[in-house]
Amino acid sequence: MAYTPQFYPGSTSVGINRRKHMSGNVEKLRDIPEADVVAIMGHRAPGADYSSTHPPLKEMGEPDCPVRQAVEPTPGAAAGDRVRYSQWTDSMYFAPSIPYFRSYWGAINCKGCDPGTLSGRQIIEARERDIEKYTKTQYDSEMTDVALCSMRGCTVHGHSLRLEENGMQFDMLARTELGNDGNVLGVKDQVGIPLDKKVNLGKPMSEAEAKKRTTIFRFDGVPMSGTIGARKPDEAVEMTHHMWELRTKWGYRPE
Amino acid sequence: MVTASDTESIQVEILPQRYLMPATAQKLLNAIYENGGITRIMVHGPNLPRSVPYGPAKGTPIEENRDLIIEVGGQAFELAVKVGRVRLELESEKYLPGLRAACERALPFTFQIKQGKFFHNRPTISDYAKYGNVEDKRILGLIDPKARKDKLAILSEEKVTIEDEER
Repeated sequence: MAYTPQFYPGSTSVGINRRKHMSGNVEKLRDIPEADVVAIMGHRAPGADYSSTHPPLKEMGEPDCPVRQAVEPTPGAAAGDRVRYSQWTDSMYFAPSIPYFRSYWGAINCKGCDPGTLSGRQIIEARERDIEKYTKTQYDSEMTDVALCSMRGCTVHGHSLRLEENGMQFDMLARTELGNDGNVLGVKDQVGIPLDKKVNLGKPMSEAEAKKRTTIFRFDGVPMSGTIGARKPDEAVEMTHHMWELRTKWGYRPE
Repeated sequence: MVTASDTESIQVEILPQRYLMPATAQKLLNAIYENGGITRIMVHGPNLPRSVPYGPAKGTPIEENRDLIIEVGGQAFELAVKVGRVRLELESEKYLPGLRAACERALPFTFQIKQGKFFHNRPTISDYAKYGNVEDKRILGLIDPKARKDKLAILSEEKVTIEDEER
């Protein structure tokens, strides 16, 4: 029987969503054209050549190395692309993903990437054509709600602030806006340079839907340890205690 | 039994559930103004820079944050922050129910009103370093000590102006 990896514990909706993010089994909700994703990332103009740091691997003549023979390079690495990044800020008001789970998603499902987790933002670095693919996957899937999550290369401020009156995450560079038709529009790239044309990112999730898809335990959503008066710790708490105990007492080596 | 004097000034903070658009902020501030009894008022929230402060796009103008002009009590001024909370000092507690009603009228979502101490009454070292001896104590607590010249809190009442000078 083929081995099926097991991810996060817990039977709450948050636990289930966390498992989905880690396993990469996420639902596709929208289809943003690749050129628009590239424009928002802002590293190259859509259609322009990829800049490279070395010649394609085939032309370089690699040394005789069993690891290099066993591991197939990603398309970006094979072509010698530059390493680029995409950085996300997710609101703590029930954004579908949170930095840790974007990182888990990246580390488990994306080959040749380097995820970085920070308190209010999450960055993934990879070869340019790989990171474009990974970013599009994140944009199109349920990991992203276009109102509560946005790509912010700098001035990431916003994840822990209250939402704006129209339900958007606060952004002092105003990179996204809510259009009159209810669609969210990307008007600037991730560092704040205005785009040539506005990018339609689609409709934001309703509050109920965001709560359904979130990976955040919150006292006013799905609390990690039940409600006051009816405490019922999720299995995730038990697992976390277990991990802490192993780590603290034996440094993960209980021999 | 000690009874609190009903003529003592009180300090309150209005905390809306969401950040206010300039139009809603104008509506709220006008409603507060009409209620009366204000000794001082401060609008607080995250900064809205006029141009990108850092990164590869440093210096690029942010048109969305420019000309956010609101009119309160017949006087127009430009918003430099996203209105997130309003702190004010009222002449006495009798204005508090009216203030709550004003917020209910102006805000389309929930809010909290907290009563407490929100303005300091002795100059801090930063205040002294920046403004010297402050004669009108009402400006204490209204100025962001980290702010530069163009980001100072503005007081439009008489005798409460400060030198618009960077030291």
